[in-house]
Amino acid sequence: MKPATQIKRKRSVNTGILFLLPWLTGFVVFKLFPFLSSLFYSFTDFNLFQGITKYGLMNYHKIFTDSVTCRSLLTTIRFALTEVPLRLVAALLTACLLTKKLRCIKVFRVIYYIPSILGSSVAVSVLWKAFFRDDGAVNTLLSVFGIHNIAWLSNPAYTLYMICLMKVWQFGSSMVVFMAALKSVDTQLYDAARIDGASKIKCFSSITLPMISPAVFYNLVIQLCLAFQEFNSVYIITHGGPRQSTNLFSLLIYNNAFVSYDIGMASAMSWVIFIFTAFATLLTFKSQKYWVFYNDEENRR
Amino acid sequence: MNRKKILILNIISVFLVLSGCQSDSNNTDSDSKKPSVTISWWGGESRNDATIAAVKQFEQLNDVEINIEYGAWSGWETRMAARIYSDSMSDVMQINQNWITMYESSDRQRFYDLGELSDIIDFSQYSEESIERCSYEGEIKAVPVSLTSKLFYFNENTFRKAGIDVPETLDELYAAGETFRDVLGDDYYPLSLGEYDRMILMVYYLESVYGREWITNKKLNYSKDEIIQGLKFISSLEDRHVIPDVKKLSGDGALSLDKNVNWITGKYAGIFEWDSTISKFIDSVDEQQHICLGGYLNGMGSYDGGFSKISLAFAISENTKYPELCARLINFLLNEEEGVKLMGVQRGVPLSSKARQICTDNNLIDEMTMDANTQIMERTKFIVDPYFEYTCLKSENGGVYFDVMSGLSYGDYTVSEAAEKLIKGIDEVLQ
Repeated sequence: MKPATQIKRKRSVNTGILFLLPWLTGFVVFKLFPFLSSLFYSFTDFNLFQGITKYGLMNYHKIFTDSVTCRSLLTTIRFALTEVPLRLVAALLTACLLTKKLRCIKVFRVIYYIPSILGSSVAVSVLWKAFFRDDGAVNTLLSVFGIHNIAWLSNPAYTLYMICLMKVWQFGSSMVVFMAALKSVDTQLYDAARIDGASKIKCFSSITLPMISPAVFYNLVIQLCLAFQEFNSVYIITHGGPRQSTNLFSLLIYNNAFVSYDIGMASAMSWVIFIFTAFATLLTFKSQKYWVFYNDEENRR
Repeated sequence: MNRKKILILNIISVFLVLSGCQSDSNNTDSDSKKPSVTISWWGGESRNDATIAAVKQFEQLNDVEINIEYGAWSGWETRMAARIYSDSMSDVMQINQNWITMYESSDRQRFYDLGELSDIIDFSQYSEESIERCSYEGEIKAVPVSLTSKLFYFNENTFRKAGIDVPETLDELYAAGETFRDVLGDDYYPLSLGEYDRMILMVYYLESVYGREWITNKKLNYSKDEIIQGLKFISSLEDRHVIPDVKKLSGDGALSLDKNVNWITGKYAGIFEWDSTISKFIDSVDEQQHICLGGYLNGMGSYDGGFSKISLAFAISENTKYPELCARLINFLLNEEEGVKLMGVQRGVPLSSKARQICTDNNLIDEMTMDANTQIMERTKFIVDPYFEYTCLKSENGGVYFDVMSGLSYGDYTVSEAAEKLIKGIDEVLQ
């Protein structure tokens, strides 16, 4: 290679690095450093106002032996396994409806996306609390049908599902991905299936679902990761109650860090949920060869 | 674009990102180079208005810049704890007395030694005992504002509707619960207690029965059997329709009792509240309701139970650039006529004898506030230990008090299990 070309390439690499510099600085300061320091603190008994007195695996031992943390981990799994499938089903069914050629379809698309614009905001959680309190809108509406006083916010059996419902309601982002995937399905496939006498359900299960399976996979991974990190809704609506029935792991991490100032324990818990989420994601990735259909030959099952 | 330009742009953007992380609360001088400090506090609307007015007055009189930072109590301590840890606390900070024990240590001082500023702050207006309560290892860490205690307040209007007088004894309170249910309906209760209030009332009851402090010298003074007796007392209030159960309160969906529609409309006709914060509860009820101070509830035991504490205090950050200015501000708010008049009794009747006199002379202390203060002075003999109020005990998120009281109410714990949990949780903090 000629020296002039080498110099040009080197300059080009340096320019690339310079462009990356702001992002890299933010990443190192706000992500990498806290990430690695939390690993260190997880092996200590670091208390914000008392410092470090011990090193070891005591935090990890406590996480897997303490009934509160074990119960919280199970609650988080239950939340993720309930919320994610329901959300994906709601998003997919709505996307199917909104890809039909109907009058005012754009208006409907906007309406169905609005809850997601609100995102995981505090306002939605406050609204949900107002809807579901004992004398809230939901119970008022149900009383018209003779159903009285359901304790949505105070009965440990219902509260987690009430939170799940709020997250399911915010299905807009998944819906948009599904809509894009549905639009890209070749209509000739449906024509051919119809000629062969396939019903609508058969078309959906044998054509639509396999063809949009990469979008399902994408949504599944993203929503699983988000579900394991859910915090805002339980913090605002229930504070983890009643009787710890909505005490998700992220809330417990917050309590350890900012209520008990037990940074060592909070760091260890963060690593546990990180490894857990990574493992769940890995399992999902491994499973894709059994159910995700890629159009290109190389990845075809 | 050449590389120099890219480099300059990147450096500027990194600088902008990092400068966004810089605290803006500490000693930021304005363009006019006026000395500038920040004061922070929590409170309801009336306290905020009074404090802002007083701070603005100080600003005008002294040609300085005072930045203000205030909010509701919910989540406030968590935010402030992070600020204290990161040495980015406000120059002047409203604190709870127990914050001194919690956040100060011999290794790392957070709060300024106010003894060094005694030529500015008039400590002669305070009793030695109150100054002692705000000291740490011989150094004065805060100036106490007022003395407070949990007292009973009742909604006269609801009691009138029920056809009975406001209760003065425990038996009358029990009887009121039954009358409310029979006359007004299941939704009406003569008293409402959250989990932390239940804990304080239980201690009040045990102190009335046994005449001992709850904690002294980092030791819990009550046995399991005695605590069981206290927990049975709390359960009896629920059983006899004196207080709504925790499930009912959770179902109300209110962030705090003053925002609870049942309190606002008079269905919950009583509270057990610090006299220093009662104004926000009185302000929140609708026009038809009338809140009055209940008397000392007799008939619990042979002693006068209940404890008092320094309700609030003002401290100065160890890192402030302007300790003298901070001291002048505190003295203005707590001891000088103009400041005291504007601050009023929004933090309770002042402990400063001069401020108390100013408030009395200017009719700033209404009858109920004065009666409450008299009740505290005359009947409240016990002092709260700072450890009683440790955040990890009283926190709504995972605190032992909440767990025990809600577990008992939901029927998850027997009184014996609840007592064991409580003792274990408290011992962990004390050790």
